[in-house]
Amino acid sequence: MKTKHLRAIGLLIVTGIFILAWVFPIFWSVLNSLKNEQDVLAYPPKLFFEPTLAAYRSVLFGPQSILPNLWSSFVISAGTTVLTMAIAIPAAYALARLRVPGSRWAGFYVLATQMLPPVGIIIPYFLILRNIGWMDTYQGIILIYLSFSLPFAIWLMVSYFEDIPFEMEEAAAVDGASRLTTLRRIILPQVQGGIAVTIVFVFLNAWNEFLFAVVLSGNTVRPVTIAMFNFVSVEQTLWTQLAAVSVIAMLPVVILGILAQKHIVKGLTVGAVKGGGRR
Amino acid sequence: MNGLGKVRFEDVVKMHGSFAALKGVDFEIEPGEFFALLGPSGSGKSTTLRILAGLDMPTRGRVVLDDQDVTAQDARERDVAMVFQSYALYPHMTVAQNIAFPLEMEKKSKAEIEPLVREAARKVRIDHLLDRRPGQLSGGQRQRVAIGRAIVREPAAFLFDEPLSNLDAALRVGMRLEISELHQRLKTTMVYVTHDQVEAMTMADKIVVLRAGKVEQVGSPLDLYTAPQNTFVAGFIGSPKMNLVTGAEAQRYGVETIGIRPEHVTLSTTEGAWTGTVKVAEHLGSDTFLHVESPIHHEPLTVRAGGEFPVHHGDTVYLTPQEDKLHRFDGQGLAIR
Repeated sequence: MKTKHLRAIGLLIVTGIFILAWVFPIFWSVLNSLKNEQDVLAYPPKLFFEPTLAAYRSVLFGPQSILPNLWSSFVISAGTTVLTMAIAIPAAYALARLRVPGSRWAGFYVLATQMLPPVGIIIPYFLILRNIGWMDTYQGIILIYLSFSLPFAIWLMVSYFEDIPFEMEEAAAVDGASRLTTLRRIILPQVQGGIAVTIVFVFLNAWNEFLFAVVLSGNTVRPVTIAMFNFVSVEQTLWTQLAAVSVIAMLPVVILGILAQKHIVKGLTVGAVKGGGRR
Repeated sequence: MNGLGKVRFEDVVKMHGSFAALKGVDFEIEPGEFFALLGPSGSGKSTTLRILAGLDMPTRGRVVLDDQDVTAQDARERDVAMVFQSYALYPHMTVAQNIAFPLEMEKKSKAEIEPLVREAARKVRIDHLLDRRPGQLSGGQRQRVAIGRAIVREPAAFLFDEPLSNLDAALRVGMRLEISELHQRLKTTMVYVTHDQVEAMTMADKIVVLRAGKVEQVGSPLDLYTAPQNTFVAGFIGSPKMNLVTGAEAQRYGVETIGIRPEHVTLSTTEGAWTGTVKVAEHLGSDTFLHVESPIHHEPLTVRAGGEFPVHHGDTVYLTPQEDKLHRFDGQGLAIR
């Protein structure tokens, strides 16, 4: 009984340390975003100060407002997510259910794309986009994001589809349902959780992306990850505003996470048990 | 009875690559018949049912349903309903929605569907569970929902794929009776796959015995019991199994193999045709089954004694087969009549 308690306490401490390590940057950003320029630079750092929303006012409604950039990020992320899911759901269903030639290699191909170092392909992507005239456009950046998110989303969705017993579809067929009706009425409702998890992952990846955005866009299309650098310049770094932008940029991520929390936890454990789920 | 549900299999062959799951299967099911597909695992009984349902396409041969060639028809187009071994209930739907699904696919209106669902649920006694989801039901209740979903649309034939194999023994006997009763009431053709010969014998009007993709015999339960066409059917039908004796004793009757059921051997402690030593005595109360080691055969013979036949392990007994109940088989294992 005693050793059990000790173990529990030990686990709690370790968990606590990990959580602190993750929470600290967020906590620090929130703190700094509420300070004024003097308090931010004070040494030793101040934990108690008079909070102000000046930084938020400035980054939202000042001359360097990031609202257009938030909109850019949203258009890119939502566009990527919608297109990805529209293609990934039927593709994953087909891979999971039909005997497609080469489907055995699909899993390997998908993993391979995830292992490629992004810097290795950024120049080719740059050349491609420049040649088709899509540099610094929404369609250009969404196309590039699709090339990463699509394989990943398909791979994730396949394991969810494979979890559904085949007899379910046969039962629906005997009941007189067409293939499409079966997918819509019987299969998709059962992979809702998987769809939610995939949407969150795809959206967040697009929302957080920086490297490709900075190389392949930046003037007309300027997502918030790049816009943050408005506040970092050679002469000075506007720490309070930078912190305020970070907090604002984090919000959609946090909200999405909370909304899909139930599904994400389940999704992560499914992945853990199944180890990817390709046949 | 609606006069529908006549099924004919004509020389149906099913290949899985180079493996022949069915090697030319022929049989006919009369409208309203309770027809059992019986055989050990790998005999092709489930494949046969799947071909009848339209879930698998035969490699060769014809499937005729109510005088219409349905061989090329998809499962969706055939007028059959199926109860799967795993029940295959839709987990995200309530019981009522599960049962209503086939009707919705027929594009029936909500007003038509509601009373039909209620009626079907009542027939399988789950009308108090209509708002539950399959996850909240016991195995037996799920089974009923699966049957309810099948009967709601009044198809030409019901197909059952080992529907009782996931239930415990007590529940299985109960469901067996209920399915039989359901058949009495609906009088619709039922095709029932099982590996359990007791299930087939107790429920079916007609049984087809399959082995390794071939029909061994088609007939009523009593036909199969009294006149098995070969040693396989002889050994497969009946519990406990028929004693099949080869060697010198069979030669004495001028055949390769003789068969005698445990209930057709006269037992005596004093005299008889064959001598033997009791190895095991199984007392079931109503019956006692003796496993007797005898020099006439290398395997123990099973004999049914009365409920209170007083013998024990190691006792010597005498066995006399009832001549008129003796089955004779030739070198190929075929019955000689």
